[in-house]
Amino acid sequence: MAQMWITMGPQHPMTHGLWTLRVKVDGETVVDTEPELGYIHRGVEKICESRDFTQIIPYCDRLCYASAMTWAHSYCYAVEDLLEVDVPERAEYVRLIAVEMQRIASHLMWLGAYTPDVGNLTVFVWCLRDREMFLDLMQELGGSRMHYNFPRPGGIKRDIPPGFADRARAKIALFLERMKEYELLLDESTIFLVRTQGVGHAKAEDMVNSGVTGPNVRAAGVNYDVRWAHPYSVYDEVDWTPSVEKPSSVKGADCYDRYRVRMTEMEESCRMIIDALDKIPGGSDTTYQSGDEKIIAKVPSRAPEGATGHHHFEDSRGESMFYLQGGGEGRGKYPYRVSIRSPMFITIPFVAKTMIGYKIADIPAIMGSFDPCIGETDR
Amino acid sequence: MGMAVTSAQNKSAVDAAVAAVMDRFGGTGIEATSVERTTGKHASFLRIVSTTRQWLGLAKFLRFDLGVNHCSMVTGTHFPDGPDERGWEVAYHFMRMPVKDQTPGTCVEHDAASLSGMDIPLEVEVFIPLAKGDSPAVDSVQSIWVGADWNEKETWDLVGIDFKGHKDMMRVLNPHDSPLGFHPLQKQHKLRYHDYNEMYDDPQGFERKPTDSGLVK
Repeated sequence: MAQMWITMGPQHPMTHGLWTLRVKVDGETVVDTEPELGYIHRGVEKICESRDFTQIIPYCDRLCYASAMTWAHSYCYAVEDLLEVDVPERAEYVRLIAVEMQRIASHLMWLGAYTPDVGNLTVFVWCLRDREMFLDLMQELGGSRMHYNFPRPGGIKRDIPPGFADRARAKIALFLERMKEYELLLDESTIFLVRTQGVGHAKAEDMVNSGVTGPNVRAAGVNYDVRWAHPYSVYDEVDWTPSVEKPSSVKGADCYDRYRVRMTEMEESCRMIIDALDKIPGGSDTTYQSGDEKIIAKVPSRAPEGATGHHHFEDSRGESMFYLQGGGEGRGKYPYRVSIRSPMFITIPFVAKTMIGYKIADIPAIMGSFDPCIGETDR
Repeated sequence: MGMAVTSAQNKSAVDAAVAAVMDRFGGTGIEATSVERTTGKHASFLRIVSTTRQWLGLAKFLRFDLGVNHCSMVTGTHFPDGPDERGWEVAYHFMRMPVKDQTPGTCVEHDAASLSGMDIPLEVEVFIPLAKGDSPAVDSVQSIWVGADWNEKETWDLVGIDFKGHKDMMRVLNPHDSPLGFHPLQKQHKLRYHDYNEMYDDPQGFERKPTDSGLVK
């Protein structure tokens, strides 16, 4: 049969954002693919060269609308490496709580977007309902619903408000109950299992060599996680175990494994938040004023020429990273160069190649299972 | 309690890597050092300053002898005001991850504190300064780390550093029909093109000035 190129996107439900996947098909079978990115390239790296270190934070929030908190923190850790600032311990705990809440919200957004792709609309509504609980909690920290502008170089903008810990505990208890409902709805659903099991195989070593990280690698049988491999924050002090899933085939992990690993990761994040609320120095029922030295350190506003800073960070979608060079305009008030590693920018070309050999109908199931986000991909 | 790689493990891995690189490449212009962060957990990482001539050999050594299996980021910087031998710079960030393929139905749960030798995660930063000029170029490592492929495309697209031997180089973030030689992260492209003070800080004509007015380069 003659082969032909067809175009999926930029307005295809599979794309989860504005990008194009050109697919070469032989009948129903995919024989080659070519991703096209850059539709929403905003030039964030260039814009950051004329903003000071605090002004950059809102731009980092907007790299990924589903995971704003983790991106802002990823940037702040790199700036702290550049400016050589130590974060107070209480601030590290609050940051951990904020980041793990964002991880849960992001995975819920993923699950909510993924399940309609594979034929289950109910979970979509349920996920958005439960995600709202965590958005409300983060709104108490940052002040807005999705783009929080919460961390600062050297600490956090404001402390946890009174009653936050109680509300967080209650919501997490409710959420853990509801997780069981999700599992009943999905793991018992023939349609979901048929669409996700046995498609989209990816091997661990291939993924690492191709630059894919995070939950996608953990689904293939190795519990590698930046949070313990290159420790930062207080992840070594709170109670958690890195999630890992057993791959189901010699060809590696399939879409179902990647779904499972994100479910266990949400449970682990819940454990971490509860434990951090118990262990937070100063107690979870105290609230320090903004600017108190317990929650934010003194930070120099300029970085000298020749100084560099970088930090590997476990984002919801894999390893994110900022690389900064000091000594920009205004005698070092602005960074000379900001470079952003986006996990999805590297993952999308890899996923495009894993689709080869499957049917067109499997493309949404495979693509969605890797949790693409185009905001951070195009920057 | 959560687990974490201890600072003793981290140090031993970085020191072993520094010794291995200097043992193999000492005297060729490659400098390997162990850099300790001054903040946070005070973790160390391996920093290498390489030359373009030695880069491909060094990359193969990192990948196949030191087990550095993950290319995290490739990025370039333009230094129009820099010295002649450093008008551009390419920075690579690599990681070594203890990740092996698993047979179906099994998984490995590493315990961080008991990892040893080549299994200890390692962070590598490589700088390659390039001479001033209109056509900075460095050898591509696309065939060594598949993950470097799109990173190199992006670096060429945005910064204009060419990767020799890269197959299928193309625009990835800029439009495909961008003019040849247009690379927006080069420093001759000013974000504040017009008069910056007028454009950004005084839209209503109050004659306000930014605090660093006149100090901006």
